[in-house]
Amino acid sequence: MAAQPERAGLSTVLEYPYTRTTGPVVGAFLGGLGRGRLLGSRIGGRVICPPVEYDPETGHRVEADLVPVGPGGSVAVWTWVREPTARHPFDRPFAFALILLDGADTPFVHAVDAGSAELMSCGMRVTARFADEPAGAITDVVFVPEGSEPGGSPAAEAEPVTTTTHLISLRYSQPLHPHRQRFVDGLRAGRIIGQRSPVSGLVYVPGRGHDQLERVTMGEEHDTAVADRGTVTSFTEITPVQYHGQKETEPYIRASILLDGASAPITGVDVRSIPLARFRVGLRLQAVWRPEDERDTSGFDNWAVGGWEGVFARWEPTGEPDVDSALLEEHVF
Amino acid sequence: MTSSPGRPVAIVAAASALHPVYHGPEATLVMTCVNEVRQAAGVDRVDFTMAGSCDYLAGSPFVFVMNIEGMGAWPPIYESHVEMDGAWALFEAWLRLQVGDVDTALVVGSGRPSVGNQREVFSLQTDPYTMAPLGLDPVSLAGLQARALLEAGIATEADFAAAAGRALPGMDPGDLLAAPYFNDPLRSHDVATPTDGAAAVLLVAGDRVAEFTDTPVWITGMDHRVESHHLGLRDLTRSPSAAAAAAHAGAADGPIDVAELMVVHSPEEIVLRNALGLGADTRINPSGGPFAANPIMATGLMRVVEVARRIASGEARRGLAHASSGPCLQQNLVAVLEGEL
Amino acid sequence: MARPCAVVGIGQTDYRRRLEVSLEGLVRWAALEALADAGLTFADIDAVVIGKAPDLLEGVMMPELSLADALGAVGKPIHRVHTAGSVGAATAISGATMIESGRYDRVLVVCYEKQSEGNATWALSGGRSGGQGAGGTFAPWIRGYIKRSGAPEHIGWKVAVKDRRNALRNPHAHLRIPDISLEKVKESPMLWEPLRFLESCPSSDGAAAVVLASEDAARRGPSKPAWIISHAKRSEYSSFPGRDPIRPRAGVDCAEALYRKAGITDPLRQIDCAELYVPFSWYEPMWLEGHLLAAQGEGWKLTDGGATELGGSFPVNPSGGVLSSNPIGASGLVRCLEAARQVRGTAGEHQVDGARIALGHAYGGAAQYFAMWLVSSELQPELR
Repeated sequence: MAAQPERAGLSTVLEYPYTRTTGPVVGAFLGGLGRGRLLGSRIGGRVICPPVEYDPETGHRVEADLVPVGPGGSVAVWTWVREPTARHPFDRPFAFALILLDGADTPFVHAVDAGSAELMSCGMRVTARFADEPAGAITDVVFVPEGSEPGGSPAAEAEPVTTTTHLISLRYSQPLHPHRQRFVDGLRAGRIIGQRSPVSGLVYVPGRGHDQLERVTMGEEHDTAVADRGTVTSFTEITPVQYHGQKETEPYIRASILLDGASAPITGVDVRSIPLARFRVGLRLQAVWRPEDERDTSGFDNWAVGGWEGVFARWEPTGEPDVDSALLEEHVF
Repeated sequence: MTSSPGRPVAIVAAASALHPVYHGPEATLVMTCVNEVRQAAGVDRVDFTMAGSCDYLAGSPFVFVMNIEGMGAWPPIYESHVEMDGAWALFEAWLRLQVGDVDTALVVGSGRPSVGNQREVFSLQTDPYTMAPLGLDPVSLAGLQARALLEAGIATEADFAAAAGRALPGMDPGDLLAAPYFNDPLRSHDVATPTDGAAAVLLVAGDRVAEFTDTPVWITGMDHRVESHHLGLRDLTRSPSAAAAAAHAGAADGPIDVAELMVVHSPEEIVLRNALGLGADTRINPSGGPFAANPIMATGLMRVVEVARRIASGEARRGLAHASSGPCLQQNLVAVLEGEL
Repeated sequence: MARPCAVVGIGQTDYRRRLEVSLEGLVRWAALEALADAGLTFADIDAVVIGKAPDLLEGVMMPELSLADALGAVGKPIHRVHTAGSVGAATAISGATMIESGRYDRVLVVCYEKQSEGNATWALSGGRSGGQGAGGTFAPWIRGYIKRSGAPEHIGWKVAVKDRRNALRNPHAHLRIPDISLEKVKESPMLWEPLRFLESCPSSDGAAAVVLASEDAARRGPSKPAWIISHAKRSEYSSFPGRDPIRPRAGVDCAEALYRKAGITDPLRQIDCAELYVPFSWYEPMWLEGHLLAAQGEGWKLTDGGATELGGSFPVNPSGGVLSSNPIGASGLVRCLEAARQVRGTAGEHQVDGARIALGHAYGGAAQYFAMWLVSSELQPELR
């Protein structure tokens, strides 16, 4: 099938490096991994691994009584992961197993790098393989069948762990909703397409695929074009907060603009060409389109309200008199 | 806590919208179901609305805020939301109706899992320090549960195939066993495929039920229970939480004609049948269960919808609907539904 | 009809960055304190309800599963509420529903947020660049309120000063700015015009918990109950032509329902104090009006005249409020439990003298989700 890049759909990566403070018990456990030690907690006559801060059956407080367990143990049950995901510790087939570590009374779940499912069995012996350069995370240890190269020679002393970092990165992909696709196609062709409610006649830009007020779904037959000029109904100046993935550094105006012919404003319109001092509710603006071959609609996904900068080079005051802001009060969003 | 019967509550309408992949907004799915139950029961406004959905399915915060567009929130409504399967929304709505200050309630569950790799996403349900960084996914966790059942001699791989085959009429379980492993001892067909979809039910309490339907389906009991999150502290071959939920929901007070179980990995059926005490007289998942449609975040509520449909049609008189959440059936909900009392 | 329900135990962490505890440690801190206050242990609890804002904040999906053991929930029902910023109050109401249904006698309600694990602006923008944050959403409506009401610009500064002064009396508060002043607020950087840095809430960690009980169970406990005499919730769409986001109808309807249920006819006089969800200073006068405590255009005059100060005729946020501590998902429950502390007479340095009826409130989303409760020192208070 021929590639259709324009309709290939959206692919987004939701990614953040979370920093988790561990508290004393999980911190001691993760810190132990860096020194080549596995710890359990003795609670009510049982040794539980990984250790917990409390009695897991009742929630009652317990004094942390950490005891060494492992590094050897036996597999209670296992499953062979033939198609690892990007979040698994190996990119080759491996086992997850409940492993009863020597000295522990309850098994814990971890990965076994056995090479082949045929080498796995319930009751088999495994041993811990520690990371050479511990990161202070549960992935500082994996298990291998007993008799394998032990690998890893962690330091005898390692920094105690108080924080463990967890990079969560998930890819989501989906085509644009059908009404969003028609809207985006329209922008590329220089038209702003909304949807007119078959019940109320109100025009929403972009359309939503439904009219929430009248509770009816809407399709292509409800599409309608509106003007590329309109009135500022609401705005704020954003001073960007820095965070993972943030690209903005300088303050800018984010406005809502009621396009002529629409019943609700377009929102999340970033304006960088008009100074704050001259920006106001009621101001009449004309969009200046980018040349057709320079229009980038990648900023429009199925959720966000932004993306207009990719199709409009800028907004210019029309010079018309301002619209009375009292008339715009029901469009302040 | 008390298990005395409260104010009677009935399901008077149920709807679902299921698509292998749905390209429109989740809110439109919700709207489709909500409009259907409203029309079926002839109601415009309801007193109370409860929804269940999950941000991480779509990787976007506030999915429920967008979904409210499908529920009818103008003029403003009395409403709440659980970040759980819609079955737990049903639980809160059922309790609210028993309080007595509202008479009608709309319950919705919805999800569009097709947009993400849910095997990766759901690993974030596990303990954030010792499990999630390993990417422990629901299929692998179910694989461990399956192995525990095999090792204990409680089930065979043929039992798994039989459970998975419920949605494949005419399929010989022997053929299923010839398929290669995916997560040994699970095969691909042992894992229900996610579906995009929504489900909705309309509840009415007490004397007003007759205004809305001639075939009410009474919720005579409902309860849910959770187990330890630490797999090593659980016997994966048993489900004491499902058993406790069934006991408190009064499941044993009469025969169960039909049971819809939230079995998204086939070995779970064996665990649940034993825990719920379901015998040969009970038809299990006549709809095909989640193997026929698995609209994540509505899969549990769909079980209620499927049982309610069968009772309303007269096909069954008394049924059990089950929902589950978490690794290896960590949390279980049971609702007992009955026709005319 | 509804069985009476009371707050019989209250617990909360400090709201600074909590770098010494795990998520489990954080929620247990609040839960164990609430249980101790109620003279109970986990064994006495019938069900647990947890609430928090989006899972993306900590990167833990459906945390009721991984926190079940830590909250003593094994073998019990546990469920999780999420209604954006209103979630803390919505979770409290969800717990109250369990008691009122007659099926549960003691319910533990726990809400938390650990903002230091992630980044709120990242999470609220779904990981996209150009996130405007809550301030960017609310700033235009605040400007709209100022224009509509004719309020002078110092009202926002005044609220910011008052709540930070109150916070100095609350050992749990996150922000402690002893030399807070109108000048200091006025000179702090502009974040979202017209909102300045010191008119905005901080990013906090923290957990809050209450034990709710039926009337029988409440009367058997060691601590004085705070009776929940009314609660209400209302929600509306985030945006549509005709919506008034400055004075959302859901907020008005919610307050009306709340007062009606309690028999309140003159809320400003009959209610003694309020903990309102004020993440940006101007929301104090906006909610005074939007929740019918003041006539339209009159809310800022209450603030300006000092009525909302501790010692005024209608103290608002004696705890220091969201402006001083914002563990997002817990903030609504903190408002509700601070209201309960007032009517129990256990609010310590920020106690409002003689408080008998207090309002706890939260809102969320695009000012579209509202949840409120009224608590009283008596089950059937005489309304004066």
